[in-house]
Amino acid sequence: MRYLLRRLLTSLFVILGVVTITFVVARLVPSDPATLVAGPRARPAQIEQVRADLRLDDPLITQYVTYIGDLVQGDLGVSFATRRPISSDLPELMPATLELALVATVLSMLIGIPVGVMASAKPGGRKDSGIRVLAVGSVSVPVFWSALILQLIFAGNLGWLPLSGRVGSNVSFETVTGFFLVDSMLSGSWANVWDVMRHLALPVAVMAAYPLGLTIRLIRGSMLEVLGERYIEAARVARISERTVLYRLALKNAMAPALTVLGLTFAYSVSSAFLVEALFNWPGIGQYLTNAIVRVDFPVIIAATLVITVVYVLVNLLLDIVHARLDPRVELGS
Amino acid sequence: MKLRRLIVIFSVLTMVLAACSSDSAETTVTTDTGGTADSETTSGETIEPGDSAGSTHFVYANPFPVFDLDPSSSFSSEHVVLQNVYETLTRFNPPGSSEQLSGVLAESWESNEDATVWTFNLRDGVTFHDGETMNADAVIASLQRSLDLGLGASFIFFPIDSMEATDELTVVFNLAYPAPMDLVMSSNYGAYIMSPSAVGEGSDWFNEGNEAGSGPYTISSYTAGEGVMLSQYQEYWGGWNDGQIATVDIQLVEDPVLAEQMIRGGDADYTYNLPHDIYGSLAAEGSLDVVRGQSMTNLFGMLNHVTLSPEVREAIVLSFPYDDVANNLYGGEGSRALGIIPQAMWGADPDLAVPATDLDQAASILEDAGVSDLSLTLSYDAGTTEQQQIGEVWAANLATIGVDLVLEPLTFDARWEIQQADPEAAADIFMMFWFPTFVTPYDFMFSLFRSEEFAFFNLGYYANPDFDLLIDDADAVSGVDREAAIALFQEAQEILIADNAAVFMLDIPDVGVMNTEVSGHVPNPAYTNVVRFYELSR
Amino acid sequence: MTAPARARRWLPASWQVTPGSGVWYYRRNWLGMAAAVILAVIVVGAIAAPWLTPYADEGTGVPDLSSRLMGPSAEHWLGTDDLGRDVLARLLYGARTALLVAVGVVSLAVIVGLVIGAIAGYFGGWIDEILMRVTDVFLAFPPLLLAVIVAAALGASLRNTIIAIAVSWWPWYARQVRTQVLSLRERPFVRAVRAIGVPDRRIIVQHVVPNVMAPVWVQAASDLGASVLTAAGLSFVGLGPRPPTADWGSMIADGRQFVLSGQWWIATFAGVAILLTALAFNLMGDVIRDVSDPKTRGEA
Repeated sequence: MRYLLRRLLTSLFVILGVVTITFVVARLVPSDPATLVAGPRARPAQIEQVRADLRLDDPLITQYVTYIGDLVQGDLGVSFATRRPISSDLPELMPATLELALVATVLSMLIGIPVGVMASAKPGGRKDSGIRVLAVGSVSVPVFWSALILQLIFAGNLGWLPLSGRVGSNVSFETVTGFFLVDSMLSGSWANVWDVMRHLALPVAVMAAYPLGLTIRLIRGSMLEVLGERYIEAARVARISERTVLYRLALKNAMAPALTVLGLTFAYSVSSAFLVEALFNWPGIGQYLTNAIVRVDFPVIIAATLVITVVYVLVNLLLDIVHARLDPRVELGS
Repeated sequence: MKLRRLIVIFSVLTMVLAACSSDSAETTVTTDTGGTADSETTSGETIEPGDSAGSTHFVYANPFPVFDLDPSSSFSSEHVVLQNVYETLTRFNPPGSSEQLSGVLAESWESNEDATVWTFNLRDGVTFHDGETMNADAVIASLQRSLDLGLGASFIFFPIDSMEATDELTVVFNLAYPAPMDLVMSSNYGAYIMSPSAVGEGSDWFNEGNEAGSGPYTISSYTAGEGVMLSQYQEYWGGWNDGQIATVDIQLVEDPVLAEQMIRGGDADYTYNLPHDIYGSLAAEGSLDVVRGQSMTNLFGMLNHVTLSPEVREAIVLSFPYDDVANNLYGGEGSRALGIIPQAMWGADPDLAVPATDLDQAASILEDAGVSDLSLTLSYDAGTTEQQQIGEVWAANLATIGVDLVLEPLTFDARWEIQQADPEAAADIFMMFWFPTFVTPYDFMFSLFRSEEFAFFNLGYYANPDFDLLIDDADAVSGVDREAAIALFQEAQEILIADNAAVFMLDIPDVGVMNTEVSGHVPNPAYTNVVRFYELSR
Repeated sequence: MTAPARARRWLPASWQVTPGSGVWYYRRNWLGMAAAVILAVIVVGAIAAPWLTPYADEGTGVPDLSSRLMGPSAEHWLGTDDLGRDVLARLLYGARTALLVAVGVVSLAVIVGLVIGAIAGYFGGWIDEILMRVTDVFLAFPPLLLAVIVAAALGASLRNTIIAIAVSWWPWYARQVRTQVLSLRERPFVRAVRAIGVPDRRIIVQHVVPNVMAPVWVQAASDLGASVLTAAGLSFVGLGPRPPTADWGSMIADGRQFVLSGQWWIATFAGVAILLTALAFNLMGDVIRDVSDPKTRGEA
């Protein structure tokens, strides 16, 4: 309980710190925010009005306090490009990014964990070396390059999969949750589900590469540690089947780092969504952010970064709490 | 076991979170092209595009954002939308037509001997989208609104002294000096006629997606930063046939790679501003046609008169690789710009004396002026490949004489705002292109180089009173004596060259890509990049 | 003590070249050797770029408009880009940028992290608390994001790219160093040296820091690979070194437009370059980690 409270407090402090840093970065921008907000038709008088509205001439502390006050009320500011409040744009975008990140994470763990276990069975052997090279390769591939290659081969040349987007132009169904896999299933038409899956295939493949490699490496590493323990040796001497040894004894204890892996892969997915969405025209927060960069739409850049980071912090908090429940040593050790 | 349960909990949690936050979208139809067709429409409709093959839906992938949907003040890339929603009295015909102009809202017109009194006879039976009738009062009210706002293209109405409705369908313009009113009324901007009920509205009303035009299409939804959706106006005076386009999606697609993917994949039916080098491959694609039109688009670099001295400007003009760019970029389809007036427009001067690239001369000018370690900023469009290529070629040139050209790509809206705000903080060289408001050199010269109290498109902060007087005179004369006007315009152009007001780079070719299934599109340099959806059939 | 000897004190013992030691083991591991060879090629390529290609000026950005978008051929082994510049030359000069950024980022992050971590760990108390809270805040940002907003705020340039990425990476080093320093502080030899009154600064620099560097080097080696990827990502969205500086990420961004039309070589080869470099650094980092930690060597 005390651990929980401590972690909550730390998280809160961290979020405050993140807000402060984003505020500072926002003020580093060389161009004048008042002009950008006022727009191209504005006369000098209008720009002055905007400057007054935004309280840009106030001392920095006042601006900071106002900024925090706005955030607490859920006001993330107004986008320069769309001239709409950012808090109304975001809810439509989050499910798209989350769906991509989740599917990629699940896929990378489903494949990564067994492969990692396989590699740890005979360390130094040929299978192990092969897997290690593949894992390192996965981790080293630049996302925008693999996207390009996959698009070229599967969409351009073979025509099996679509180039971009979440759903075909002649497909429509009700969006209840915003997660198209779920929604398409709810609509009852397998054609819809198939279409959504086809559109998910390439972005997920691209996004899952790094987490896959990471999972394999981490699981392999932690399995090796556990396999070196006495009780494993004992089990082997007692002629317990290798399969049982690997999966029922070792893996269970090697799983704690799996939570770390989950956290890391989710974090990575969220930040790589930024690049992947731009490449596949995926209407999520990542694309929102990349568009904002080219347009110098600073309120969006700051707000999107803030939201993504806060989600990241909360997810880590959740994982830490779970980890603490699973492993008492954590609570005692802190 | 525990881990699996955890994953399930986590997924459910996230889904619940997402569900709570997305209850604003009920029925959302999404397309391959990303970006949701927003369900927050002003008229409460939901849009349902039909099947892509043989459908009456058209997707226009627009590389530039829409800034201002107010027809009286719009002066940027909105024309691709507004030319389909609103109408003008006359229209400039495509090259090769027998007549220069045809009537749209006006059926016929005439002027007196010295072109100071113009009479327009309006078409009967035209209604606006809100049901109001189009008549002389509506015309006058619309044009007066443009004049009163004094923004955008309102300068085209300066000659007007007074306007009167002599009867229900007749408008008379009394001018202070001669002007080709029939040509003015065909303008790409500012001359739209709107319903009298909208005249009292402010620009905000229009920029929420409302409109009051008489054209073949209405705006069914507008999402700033994403795009505009149009749908058929059933009571359009021109009538409708089968096979015509019923709904249009003018989508903002700033990334040329995405636009290319869309047009190849059939998710967009028309786009332009793609890297020129891929047009060959696109033409080879059976489903696409590469459409070329006559061009009146001029690419140039405005030189910042506040931050750059005359000597530096002269050196900059001499350093540009004119022939390299004209011969190698844009597929060689462009031609070196001779001044600001595009070669295809009347008044262009094919004999204009323009400087040749001379790096040695540029270097010695800088040396004589005592300028060393010069660093210049070049602002250009992030999504236009050729502008980047030009920038890099130019940078290589300047590097040989010790000048550092810093390239600053941004989207047009961002860099426009930065350039306008503070000349000191603005870029030294602002690359942009211009196409006609209406077909006259006055438009190019007035909008880009006439001294302005507050920079709108005169983004080099050029101010030369002699030049101002000259072009105003030329415009005043252009109504009666074309020859005299041409002489004056050319003289004014020579001033621009002598002053090193800008680097005049290229008359760029007009190229677009259209879905082969769609027929009826005729490119028109007076309405650059406009596709008239009413004329199409698929 | 000679300079090399003093420097070598900072390196882990397992890195000394004696039979049975880490380096000796490294040389027997073929993956590590392969990685080393690839890296050597890249480094040599970067340094000797002007002499390795007849198109040196094109590498620095000078266009050759008569040879635009030509495919791989005898004259241009990897083809030319949309301004006629030889792709191989651009890759070689791009290697300079990539290595410069990688080394710059890791050095900056290590130095800042080291200083902060050492101070926090050594002095403890409220200094430690404050510094660690600050570190936590920086660590809270998802990997790429902080670099993105800092780069966006500062403006695109080589220097700003290095600063932006380093700003998001130093916290890991600070944490690591602090943990090590904390445990080291209570060791007898440190307490002894403090007891005789040696000033804190000398203690930190001469005694504490050299003994905490081991995990730092391991992480630094694989961070070199990650920084190549991160920098490429930043360039790809326009936040990297400005044109005409040769840069692999920008080459992919520019070359991407021509891939669907059949001119695939610009983006593809640039991507291969990034892949190989990141791969080599990561492999090297892996092997270094293995030699520093007996358990994962598979020997136990």
